[in-house]
Amino acid sequence: MPRQTKIELLIRREADEGFEVRAVPSSLAYLQYRPQRIADSAWELAELPKGIDRRRTYVLKNRATDRYILLRERERFLWAQMDGRTSLQDMATAYVLRYGAFDFDLIPNLIAKLRQAELLTLRPASRLREALARHQKNLGARALEVAFKGLEKITVTSRNVQRNFERLYRWGGLLIFTLPTLVLGLALAVLGAMSAIRLWQDAGEIAGPLAQHPILAVLSVKFFFFATLAAHQTVHGLACVHYGRRVREYGFTLLHGFVPTFYVDVTDIFMASRRARVVTALAGPLVHLYFGALCLWTATHLPFGFLQSFVAATGVLQWQSFLVCLYPFCFLEMDGYHILVDVLGLPTLNKDSWRFFRDELWRRLGEGKGISRQEAIWVGYIVLSFVSVSAFVLFNLWGLTHMGSS
Amino acid sequence: MPTSDPVAFLKTVSVFKDLAEPHLVALALRLRERVLKKGEVLFREGDKGDELYLIREGTVVISKPVLGRVEQVLARMGPGDFFGEMSLFDQAPRSATVQAETTALLLCLDRESLHQFIEISPRAAAAFFFQMVQVFTTRLRESGNLVAEVTRWGLEATGLDFETKPSR
Repeated sequence: MPRQTKIELLIRREADEGFEVRAVPSSLAYLQYRPQRIADSAWELAELPKGIDRRRTYVLKNRATDRYILLRERERFLWAQMDGRTSLQDMATAYVLRYGAFDFDLIPNLIAKLRQAELLTLRPASRLREALARHQKNLGARALEVAFKGLEKITVTSRNVQRNFERLYRWGGLLIFTLPTLVLGLALAVLGAMSAIRLWQDAGEIAGPLAQHPILAVLSVKFFFFATLAAHQTVHGLACVHYGRRVREYGFTLLHGFVPTFYVDVTDIFMASRRARVVTALAGPLVHLYFGALCLWTATHLPFGFLQSFVAATGVLQWQSFLVCLYPFCFLEMDGYHILVDVLGLPTLNKDSWRFFRDELWRRLGEGKGISRQEAIWVGYIVLSFVSVSAFVLFNLWGLTHMGSS
Repeated sequence: MPTSDPVAFLKTVSVFKDLAEPHLVALALRLRERVLKKGEVLFREGDKGDELYLIREGTVVISKPVLGRVEQVLARMGPGDFFGEMSLFDQAPRSATVQAETTALLLCLDRESLHQFIEISPRAAAAFFFQMVQVFTTRLRESGNLVAEVTRWGLEATGLDFETKPSR
């Protein structure tokens, strides 16, 4: 596309009533464009082993979308400068000074690639924020946007946590990653399952005390659950340390301004082996499995009353969380999804599946053409997503009607 | 009434070109002259207005504020062009800002004078409105072209490429 369109702008002078008209070519604006990469915590870069040609290559990952792109050394140099302050003109100058020559297609191609992977800041982080940004003329939307921005600032975080995690690991955390702990944990899970079956027989009576104090019940169970979220994230961090990687950040924030959550930045684990990544992802949800089993077993030994109700409900909620965390399909990209993509070796599974399902599959079926093994995985992923979500909805409907009739 | 053969000038203005000389003379009597110094703002977007302006000499720039002290130039008009007719008909505030790029001599026709002209010379008024519709049509097409051009500028300026990169 020829870069030659001009736009005429009238710029008023501050000093007097005068003005000047400037014709600004699009090429000039492009040179002044200051690309800004997404927040540092949202991406990671790893150097790949050198290939036969001995060239350095890097893999750049968008943690939010799980999109990966390959960068050559020269592209990595440009990526490092995309801080929102450096114009393309300045970047091109720096490039020439460093490498002594310039490839004129390099920057546009890199920007297109980064945009595809959503690695440049272009839009607000959440769909809600996006919608609010679109309705800035609406007073309510503006007020909500301001409120969310304020709430987002309520973030308690530390980037200097590695030493604490290492200490915690030495003081007993390392035991979590031993075979006896795994065996013990699984035995506890079996015990928990047996306890759950026993509790189910008296479910009505056990749930009674909670039903009598609904507000206290919801607050206490939720608060306790919230505390275990911290444990979940801590164990992710310990797993990272176990494999000799660095925990970059740990903290509490209000996600999108209204979802309270703990978080840990263990992106350094992507520089470790696949096994390390899978174990790190799995370690967090196992907290809920073990803790839930412990609660259910404890509940069977408690007398009828609020405490037993509370402990049993906590156990059920923990196991629900365990399942939700490991749910690998569409709509939720949680630990289970990360395990699945690592096992399959398809880092952009969700996006690719949707794209194939939406843009390609029906045309292929119409033309009577077959699909490859990878495409079959994409289709399977979508089918299982729909089946699992439908089953979840049906199960809840059954639960509601069952409770209504009893 | 403006000086130096206003009727000859009105014949050069597209919306009056089909009017007979007596009607042009009658119209010329209703016009008022206004001199705009270089850089002077005639009116701003949002101002009230009930006058149509004919440019006899000089050039004016029509612009719309976009950001701070920066405005987008919508059109540049010279001798024989006219502007300001929108507020004359819809009675809404001015839709853009007009300023003189060079010292300009304008002829103003207010709403009241136009109404009188229509009442006295309905046939001439019909010819005037027919030409006015043609001018509106042309300007509407030009607005569409401007939108497309500005969009192209934006795509080029930001390097967005939808031709070779698949949509996601």
